[in-house]
Amino acid sequence: MPLSPHVLRELERIVGTAGLVVSHEGLLTYECDMHTFYKGAPEAVVLPESAAQVAEVVRLCRREHVPIVPRGSGTGLIGGAMAAAGGVMVSMTRMNRIVELDFANRCATVQPGLINLWLSQATRAGGYFFAPDPSSQMVSSIGGNASTNAGGPHCLKYGITVNHILGLEVVTGAGELVRLGGKTHERPGYDLTGVMVGAEGTLGLVTGVVVRLTHLPESVKTILASFPTIEDASETVSAIIRAGIIPAALEMLDEVVIRAIEEGIHAGYPKGAGAVLLIELDGPVAEIEAQAAPIEAICREHLALEIRVARDEAERALLWKGRKEAAGVFGRLTPNWLLQDAVVPRSRLPEIMRELQEIGARHRVVIANVFHAGDGNLHPLICYDDRVPGELERAKQANEELLHACLRLGGSVTGEHGVGLDKCESLPLQFAPADLNFMARLRRTFDPDSIMNPGKLLPSHPACGEGFRPTARPLPSGTWI
Amino acid sequence: MAVSTPALHDALGDLVGAPHLLRDPAALPAYAVDGVVPGAVVRPGSAEEVSRVLALCATEGLAVVPRGAGRAMGLGNPPRRLDVVLELARLTAVREYVPEDMVATVDAGLTLGGLAARLAPQRQMLALDPPGGLARSVGGVLATHASGPLRFRYGTGRDLLLGARFVQADGTLTWGGARVVKSVTGYDVPKLLVGSLGTLAVLVEATLRLHPIPPARRSWQVSLPSAPAAADFVAALLDSPLQPDRAALLDEAALRRAGVTPQPIALLLSIGSVAEAVEQQGSALAALARGHGARVDAVPESAWGGLGEAVAAPVLLRLACEPRRLLHWLTTAQAAAGRLGVEVASLAQPGHGVLQMAVRGAAAPRTLGAELVGPLRSGVESEGGSLMVEGAPSELKAICEAWGSINLENMAIMRRIKTEFDPAGCLSPGRFVGGL
Amino acid sequence: MSQIAPARLGAFDAQDAPSMDGLRACVHCGICLPQCPTYRVLGEEMDSPRGRVYLMRAAAEDRLGLTETMARHLDLCLGCRACETACPSGVPFGQLLEATRGQLERRGVVPSQRDSATLRFLLEVFPSPARLGAMLHGLRAYQWSGLQALVRGLGLLAPFRKLRAMEALLPPVPPIPAPLPEVVPARGGRARGRAGVLLGCAQRFFYPDVNADTVRLLSAAGYEVVVPRAQECCGALHLHAGRIDELRAMARRLMPLFADVDVVVVNAAGCGSALKEYGHWLPDEETQRFAARVRDVSEVLADADLPLRPLRETVTYHDACHLAHGQRVRAEPRALLRRIPELTLVDLPDSDLCCGSAGVYNLLEPDMAGELGRRKAARIRETGARIVAAGNPGCLMQIRQHCRAEGLAVEVAHPVTLLARALAEPRGER
Repeated sequence: MPLSPHVLRELERIVGTAGLVVSHEGLLTYECDMHTFYKGAPEAVVLPESAAQVAEVVRLCRREHVPIVPRGSGTGLIGGAMAAAGGVMVSMTRMNRIVELDFANRCATVQPGLINLWLSQATRAGGYFFAPDPSSQMVSSIGGNASTNAGGPHCLKYGITVNHILGLEVVTGAGELVRLGGKTHERPGYDLTGVMVGAEGTLGLVTGVVVRLTHLPESVKTILASFPTIEDASETVSAIIRAGIIPAALEMLDEVVIRAIEEGIHAGYPKGAGAVLLIELDGPVAEIEAQAAPIEAICREHLALEIRVARDEAERALLWKGRKEAAGVFGRLTPNWLLQDAVVPRSRLPEIMRELQEIGARHRVVIANVFHAGDGNLHPLICYDDRVPGELERAKQANEELLHACLRLGGSVTGEHGVGLDKCESLPLQFAPADLNFMARLRRTFDPDSIMNPGKLLPSHPACGEGFRPTARPLPSGTWI
Repeated sequence: MAVSTPALHDALGDLVGAPHLLRDPAALPAYAVDGVVPGAVVRPGSAEEVSRVLALCATEGLAVVPRGAGRAMGLGNPPRRLDVVLELARLTAVREYVPEDMVATVDAGLTLGGLAARLAPQRQMLALDPPGGLARSVGGVLATHASGPLRFRYGTGRDLLLGARFVQADGTLTWGGARVVKSVTGYDVPKLLVGSLGTLAVLVEATLRLHPIPPARRSWQVSLPSAPAAADFVAALLDSPLQPDRAALLDEAALRRAGVTPQPIALLLSIGSVAEAVEQQGSALAALARGHGARVDAVPESAWGGLGEAVAAPVLLRLACEPRRLLHWLTTAQAAAGRLGVEVASLAQPGHGVLQMAVRGAAAPRTLGAELVGPLRSGVESEGGSLMVEGAPSELKAICEAWGSINLENMAIMRRIKTEFDPAGCLSPGRFVGGL
Repeated sequence: MSQIAPARLGAFDAQDAPSMDGLRACVHCGICLPQCPTYRVLGEEMDSPRGRVYLMRAAAEDRLGLTETMARHLDLCLGCRACETACPSGVPFGQLLEATRGQLERRGVVPSQRDSATLRFLLEVFPSPARLGAMLHGLRAYQWSGLQALVRGLGLLAPFRKLRAMEALLPPVPPIPAPLPEVVPARGGRARGRAGVLLGCAQRFFYPDVNADTVRLLSAAGYEVVVPRAQECCGALHLHAGRIDELRAMARRLMPLFADVDVVVVNAAGCGSALKEYGHWLPDEETQRFAARVRDVSEVLADADLPLRPLRETVTYHDACHLAHGQRVRAEPRALLRRIPELTLVDLPDSDLCCGSAGVYNLLEPDMAGELGRRKAARIRETGARIVAAGNPGCLMQIRQHCRAEGLAVEVAHPVTLLARALAEPRGER
């Protein structure tokens, strides 16, 4: 349904002509994020420059029953930053400043559109960094990271985004501009900040973030170990965790991905190995030296072909560039791909990797792997060519089977990319109706008119509809006289 | 027609078994919450029973307060009504524990000490150590957002609780969160429950993130001559590459009560890692301390056990401020206490800006309220902080109110959440912020 | 894989259509966004490389026609190709842009905001040394007569934004240079090879000393230097504007002039980049062989043994887009500057973010170019350097103008100017 001229006039009044996009061409470019499978163009895009403007936009949309979709850098992988139901897309890209660096309190106040890596670059000279480092960090925004509770390779040691957010300024679906949390680390009341992180724009729009800064480690050691097979690498991962060692990062890449990385980035990954582990230790010198020895021993026990330690920062940076830009080089590997994000308990990693290969063989699709092995968070990349009849179907089937296999092993339908549109219909695999209903009711306390990113996060399941009540457990007969 | 109370109690007894219903008037005062005595204490033996009990209470509009080990019932304001205390101490099973995954799912009534005993043989731990907390239940520690020195490295219940099974006010057994370390499926409902003091739901099962017990661990007391010196040292410590796993800041009174060598002010620190790293960091710590004119003494592990004593007092306050303002508020509180002639033993979490103050001494509640709690609270609130009363006699609570002022807009949202999930106000009514 | 070429590619026709494989290589990851100058300024998806590729692909897939709005977003693109450097998937953005611009040009799709008159004027003046020389004659008179000082002092051009922008850009126009000798022998007698020098358009008239220094340095490096006198424009400006057939014509006129040299040396980044890509637009063997012989002057001098005297200066180096992104030449100019004794090379943050010159972009899009120029000047100020080195005449003009506007007293110089300054040999000996 097109936006009324009144709404468009109001939007223009709030954000100015330069802050409003209504051309067909412009709206087209906003119809999807990195998950191009899910396309839905908004009817208008606004680029506000202040929280006050965001609040006015939300209130307008609430009055006029117009859906709102927030968007940061548009690098999400779950169909989050696209307008499934039309409406107004609110792009935070112009609110991208560092408002304050407060080293004395080891925190920073930033606007949501600030690029993750830029924050760490700005704090580096002060001896600090922002620990959550999703692979997209060179382009994804802090607001986007907060909305999806982003992970990243180093969250194995440092935790995920929510563990590094002290406060949020948000505009709720009810149109209230509120400050949740702040520089103090605790306060009386419910943890509204904790609930808002990872809410994917369904509870409110993030207009400001207070983040915790982490001290840069004294030293870093980056080890690249190559193995004959994925199996050997997976067993190595399990063994390292079993030994009670938690590296700062523990990533696995298989030969398919390595070939593409080397072609596109020339990062120095070894060719000819079945799989490679990128292991990073950071912390006090003595600690990482003491951890490196047993890790190398474990690698050798599992038939490591080569164990290489990055000699300097430049080599280390290149190895990470290869890892983090892996998603980008997929274009060299295959015309199309489905990227899955699933988790299994760490102890089941070798098992799922075996199943994965079997599923790929059975459906005759190539499945490439680049992922956070240390916390069991897989990113199988199912390759296909949409020009070849039947390939997309087989890829989708493999995808489904894979997800169910992860769940069967006690995992989760999503590890770090979030739910968005891509996973919401899968939530009932993991949550009972009562659980979904609880979340749906929570959502309505923040967004009473259901305008915030509709169609995302929660499934179109009866339990999420209004008026649903889980079947009351009947009390035993004769409970009272 | 209202059902009679004895009949209701009978019905509750039927749900959990008569031996697990307590209604002897002589025994009930021990279960009072801030002086409000319940009509009955119910002790369910399973999540199912909790569900049925709450369903019945909801139908009959009974006010319920959940209880774990009963060690921190003093937190919050007195309940507006109290019919039933729901004690979860019988729920102590470890539901699932896979050491390789470093995740454990346990019943909410299991004590921290009980859990530690189960995890120790695998050299793993739950990194939550509120002072004197070994006898506290997992559920209680989470519901009160309690924390201790391990917060320095590992965070609090908010960071360690992955998934939770809970019973809503109407008895619906519900689950939220995840069972694995990394999952972003839907809302982080466990976050909502931590620190919610049993006002939104009753926690029955917790899926917790565990950590390896470090191979070696040593502890030190770093003693400083004054609060400004302590502030400088804390800043230097936070800026250094040192990675202590535990840190606690104590003033002289707290040190004495904890049974540690009293000094004007001191930090207790421990470093846990491989032996070589512990040695090396220990030397680095000593060098850093000497550079700040501080004295460093090795202390045994048992020193940490004394912290519970430091905060065992009839009046316990909890102040939260910006980390850099911690020493300011510590000295301000000490000065106020000095003027009043009461003893304040301070136990703080450096780097987090959290300060517990155990107040002992003969001072009238009105005086304590007007000269200590009131000024501290309004002072720290003007900086965006807060001051909670974690425990106090009823008269003091009536004067001071447990929580302080809450931002109005946040309060509005919290009220909506409370109304949504407990419309009849059956769960811990009146105990939480804003009278929720 | 041989296929019958389609008559159409969606909204594009078959003549010099953008490559569908190139368009499909984009995986929509967005890594290009923070590297794009127009995205940095505007923050809008359709003025980012990802957005522009999306529009081009939409046209190729018949989801979008060739519209004026699309053309406008492509007009705003600087063509700096920072996105190509960032792109992990190898999307050939520059060539996609040029091909699409060509199609829009041929179909007469012109956005209302474009200053067609100025563009036409520039494209007709630049390729002809005679016309360019004549125009600059007039401009020189304008400057030497004091008229420029009067005009600037009284702000007479204030109401004419475009004209004022162009006027502000003008460096002091030097006197018409004496033509360089057609052949210069190698220093020391024995030549290691024959190096042909491209004079360029802007370079030859605005910075003739750079050409003279280039010749001098090549000779000192042991090359026999050849400067074909008949050379005109390399066609880079036309290529970037999508006039591909005109580019081909100019290329065909230029290449034979360099037939018997071992290396074609270019000291203007924009020209070098275009020359190296001649083979894409003229896929015959002869052109491929020509293109393979093209080098930037810094690449050629990289392994030269030049006797250099100390030059005690603090210098910061700006990466001209068509050198860093277009040709992937970053290390060589820096290495050369570092070879000069006592020269301190300071890092310029965002050194490879476009200064806004982008060929004649700053004459056509003064707002965007001005914003980028201001940002570049601010970065330069942060370094505290006294000299800014850049390997492209357009950059030198743009940076000079904006540093002056910000009250920043820096000298802008081509790296060869600094090298020549430090060259240990009696001056005047060419």
